[in-house]
Amino acid sequence: MFADRRCFLGFALALAVFLSLPLGLAAEERMGAWVDEVTMVKEPSTATAISRLLVGELDIYSDGIANPEDFQRILESPDLTHSMAYGLYNELTFNPVGPVWDNGELNPFALKAVRQALNWLLDRDYIAEEIFGGMAVPKYMPLTSAFPDYARLADVARKLELEYAHDPVRAEAAIEAEMEALGAVKIDGTWHYNDEPVVIKILARVEDERVEIADYLGDLLQGIGFEIETDYKTGAEASPIWMSADPAEGLFHVYTGAWITTLVSRDQAGNFAFFYTDLGLATPLWQAYDPTEEFYDLADRLDRNVFSTMDERRDMMAQALELAMEDSQRVWLVDQVSAFPRAADISVAADLAAGTTGAWLWALTLRRNEEIGGSVNIGLMNVLVDPWNPLGGSNWSFDQMPIRATRDVGAVPDPFTGLYHAQRAERGELTVKEGLPVDVTLDWVDLEFAEEILVPRDAWIDWDAAEQTFITIEEKLEQDTVSFLDEALTKEWNFGRDEDGPTLTANRKSVVYYPEDLFDVVKWHDGSPLSMADIVMGIILGFDRGQPESAYFDEAVVSSLRSYLNSMRGIRIVSTDPVIIEFYSELYGLDAEQYIATFFPSYAYGPGAWHTLALGLGAEANEEAAFSSSKAGQLEVEWISYVAGPTLDILAQYLDGSYIPYEDVLSQYMAEGEVEERFENLRSWYEDKGHLWVGTGPFYLERGYPVEGIVHLKRNPDFPDPADKWAIFDEPMVAELDAYGPGRVTIGTEAVFDVHVSFDDEPYALEHMDEIKYLLFDSAAEIVHVGTAEPVEDGLWQIVLPDELTGTLGVGANRIEVIAAPIVVSIPSFATVTFVTVE
Amino acid sequence: MRSMEMNGTEMMQAKTKKRWSDSTWARVGLYTLTRLTALFFTVVVAIYLTILIANMGGAMDDIRTSMIRENISMAMSMDPEMRQLSSGERNVMIQDAIRIEIARLGLDQPFPLRSVRYLSNALLLDLGRAEYLTSDAGSRQVKLIILERLPPTLLLFATSNLLLFFITLFAALFLSRRYGSTLDKIVVALAPTSAAPSWFYGIFLILLFAGIWGVLPFGGMVGAPPPPTTWAYSLSVLRHLILPVMALTLAALFLQIYSWRTFFLIYSSEDYVEMAKAKGLSSSAIERRYILRPTLPTILTSFTLGLITMWMGGVVTETIFNWPGLGSLIYAAATMPDTPVVVGSVVIYAYLLAASVFVLDIMYAVVDPRVKVGGGSRS
Repeated sequence: MFADRRCFLGFALALAVFLSLPLGLAAEERMGAWVDEVTMVKEPSTATAISRLLVGELDIYSDGIANPEDFQRILESPDLTHSMAYGLYNELTFNPVGPVWDNGELNPFALKAVRQALNWLLDRDYIAEEIFGGMAVPKYMPLTSAFPDYARLADVARKLELEYAHDPVRAEAAIEAEMEALGAVKIDGTWHYNDEPVVIKILARVEDERVEIADYLGDLLQGIGFEIETDYKTGAEASPIWMSADPAEGLFHVYTGAWITTLVSRDQAGNFAFFYTDLGLATPLWQAYDPTEEFYDLADRLDRNVFSTMDERRDMMAQALELAMEDSQRVWLVDQVSAFPRAADISVAADLAAGTTGAWLWALTLRRNEEIGGSVNIGLMNVLVDPWNPLGGSNWSFDQMPIRATRDVGAVPDPFTGLYHAQRAERGELTVKEGLPVDVTLDWVDLEFAEEILVPRDAWIDWDAAEQTFITIEEKLEQDTVSFLDEALTKEWNFGRDEDGPTLTANRKSVVYYPEDLFDVVKWHDGSPLSMADIVMGIILGFDRGQPESAYFDEAVVSSLRSYLNSMRGIRIVSTDPVIIEFYSELYGLDAEQYIATFFPSYAYGPGAWHTLALGLGAEANEEAAFSSSKAGQLEVEWISYVAGPTLDILAQYLDGSYIPYEDVLSQYMAEGEVEERFENLRSWYEDKGHLWVGTGPFYLERGYPVEGIVHLKRNPDFPDPADKWAIFDEPMVAELDAYGPGRVTIGTEAVFDVHVSFDDEPYALEHMDEIKYLLFDSAAEIVHVGTAEPVEDGLWQIVLPDELTGTLGVGANRIEVIAAPIVVSIPSFATVTFVTVE
Repeated sequence: MRSMEMNGTEMMQAKTKKRWSDSTWARVGLYTLTRLTALFFTVVVAIYLTILIANMGGAMDDIRTSMIRENISMAMSMDPEMRQLSSGERNVMIQDAIRIEIARLGLDQPFPLRSVRYLSNALLLDLGRAEYLTSDAGSRQVKLIILERLPPTLLLFATSNLLLFFITLFAALFLSRRYGSTLDKIVVALAPTSAAPSWFYGIFLILLFAGIWGVLPFGGMVGAPPPPTTWAYSLSVLRHLILPVMALTLAALFLQIYSWRTFFLIYSSEDYVEMAKAKGLSSSAIERRYILRPTLPTILTSFTLGLITMWMGGVVTETIFNWPGLGSLIYAAATMPDTPVVVGSVVIYAYLLAASVFVLDIMYAVVDPRVKVGGGSRS
């Protein structure tokens, strides 16, 4: 009996192990995406989308919910969860011309003291809580509170936020003083200038909360003696007034502006030049900006990265923030917060700026519970809005979301910090000129500094569209020395000399290394292996389409080619197997990871194999269709779509492989029989799927249904990465902060405060935290000290106030504001601890 | 009222024409020519007015130009490589890009000149290219953009209009014979429910059938992903059609029954109907010969104009049900604004309306023995 039972148990155990084996193996070996299918449907109504989420018809709604009632429905449902995004922000734009316009009217906002006073007049908490229903956080300066620069400068920001906190009495006094200095008088509570009431014209956008912001501003200004005239306009109607008209005409005093960032921006230093100086835009309003010389110079240098170290940059930024608040050409109001809802059993990466819609890794992290396989339904505001093609197709975020699932890239941005991680590339090397402020965080990039970076003379510097050949620096120097040198001198290019002779120098050299098995493991969705020709095709297209001699010349590409050539100093293919490519440029930035040129065949608007691009290029050369909307308009032909519509038939004419663009160059990088094999694969694909959209991403396009507004994606079984490669991006590791310490401190004695940092109730690893700063406020609410906490162990930091510091405090209640700036997520966390000082 | 006016016009025309010819063909031919000419000029005026209004008499050019400047300046200023250039070089490039886009949209030509070209193209049904919108399949041709959205609109509105037309017609006939009955009173009492628009019913129907009971979809035209076979696809479309058709039908049902029933009641009390009843004719014979026959012109007019209004779709209803029809397209075109698409849809509507009016004129003569084309009326 027992023997039988043991035998049975043993058998059962063996069976269980046997049965669980495939599951375990499957979990280990699952490659590419976790789910098998994704269906994306058009759902323009956010309210309906939430209802559909609640009944399980949708699993994700990929659009930001900013309506408080809708957000409440998400919060109340145990079946739903959400990710937050912070990419939208609001401000007030002022007309800077005056103080008296051509029409004789007074513009008090021409004075920076009046603009500055509005910071005190406006209650940003009210705007965030009442107008935006809590779906916003107060914003004082041109830095997004969820992005790295704010975390880096959190102490400076907090100081300024306190200085410019809501103080209507101070605001009114400041404005009154300025108005009187202008010669205005207050009669019966209303400001008059030249015996006429001072009327403030508010240009209000009607599409969103900006209507309420305008009304709120109007009420405040009316309360301090101005007459208000609010002009409610749509974006299109307002544009000629604030953007195109000469501000001296006096068509508006204040415009309710709003801006959007679609990716976590790691460097917002350019915002000062863009928002406060005439360097921003070539429009009449921007050209009328007249900041102080000091601020202009600082903004310009920050925009052009003219600094040597991050510390120097930090000081410059701190100074620029102070000057920006003084200038107040723009008064910032709130950073909007929007929720991207999903079913509670779904995990997916969401970008801190643009939610799931803007996350590059959404497709590779999408999963239901711990399941493998299955399908997920995603609702989008719209889908298949414009034609999909890699060179000039749809740039709508709704279209780019499914497109990202079908493409792979050399490096991919971190959704929580914006830093690039190696995706298809194996590693990178970045060499920059000594003294340039570049830093590295991730270990896939090696950063070096060099006194001089010489561009090899055999590097490609240009492309001859007529002859269809690359031009090296050596050829350029030898064949066309005078004009080349002339051009170089005009553009202030620098020269050096290597062992073979003179050559160009560059600020930056990046080298990308791909794995040795790149061409074995990466396949296009039609089954064709990736080849070096795909990569070289991308390099050629970078030059060719902007040149009038090209068969594919597109006038709209000229400006981007000119700016590219202005900073580019050379490209050199070091090796084709494994792929190693050098890139030389004058362009550089703070983070080394962002400046590794990968050359993976993934274009601005989608993936592009040389053979699929050949179809479109053939059609464009014969003026049957065009990649860009503008060229299609000029030629009066259709805009190329690889997914649906009339151009599919046109493209299909070239499926016989008779048209090979740049054949002489590309053939050098093709394997034997590659042309025949590729077009055979593509013909089969077209017959099977009915479209020509082919990528290397974790999903392939099964079919797009344009009229129905549906995109059907299926898992690419050949995707070379394990499914759990990016599991770290399931949820942003926003630190939870708690500070504790003695409630009573004797003046002149040391005091120690503990700062506990956690995420999901687990201690926050020290290596994930950049720094923890603190601001010490005395009993008069003045900042008396700014310091940094000391790391003790994972999850624990300490603030030590030495005896000499507590000795400076008077008797009373003091406050420490703690600011944690993690490395793995750009959102800083805050905590406050209070204590009483006694003698 | 309309038929009376036409009859008056036709009488005058007939008097004039009899002087030079009494031939039926000549009379019909002349009438046709006169009518077509009048309708053509009406169409020309309507289209040109649409062009003027859609372009705000040329003021839209400023808005478009400004939007182009704004969008291009913003996009190019954000490009890190552009930011490496001096502001002078960058401005030259931005101005170049603006020039290209302005030329693409033809804004470099004066509006009066363009408006005449728009008109001539529209009259020749050359609807041209959209400025911003593309068809869902990716075409910029206005013709294709409109044609692509036509089938869903026709399917939705033809189904609901036909359903509504026949249900209300026969229900009204039925009630006109049962004036004062309980059913009649109920319908009269329910008639004010039509004050609520179809989208109002749509919201309730979605809430009940999709949100609470979960038996029908929230919206869209077909399930996702669409079924692969034609049969399954058609069934899925039918399932998605139920709620919007119900909403459109319910919204107009009782008022329309009430209207027709009142209309038929008037005709039911005519002396010749009473005479027929006295003669002992069956109810169906009375309905067919003595009530429906003389009311046919009105019924035909209502039916035809009902069909034409389908062209414009239903903006809100289509939006509520996420139905990819012409209504939502025209709304998108008007708000964008994409003038060629707005003008294109109005052009076709104008032609359809003119053609319908012309066909109705002929139909009146066919169905109503009192009407004679080009020859006045016999009453």
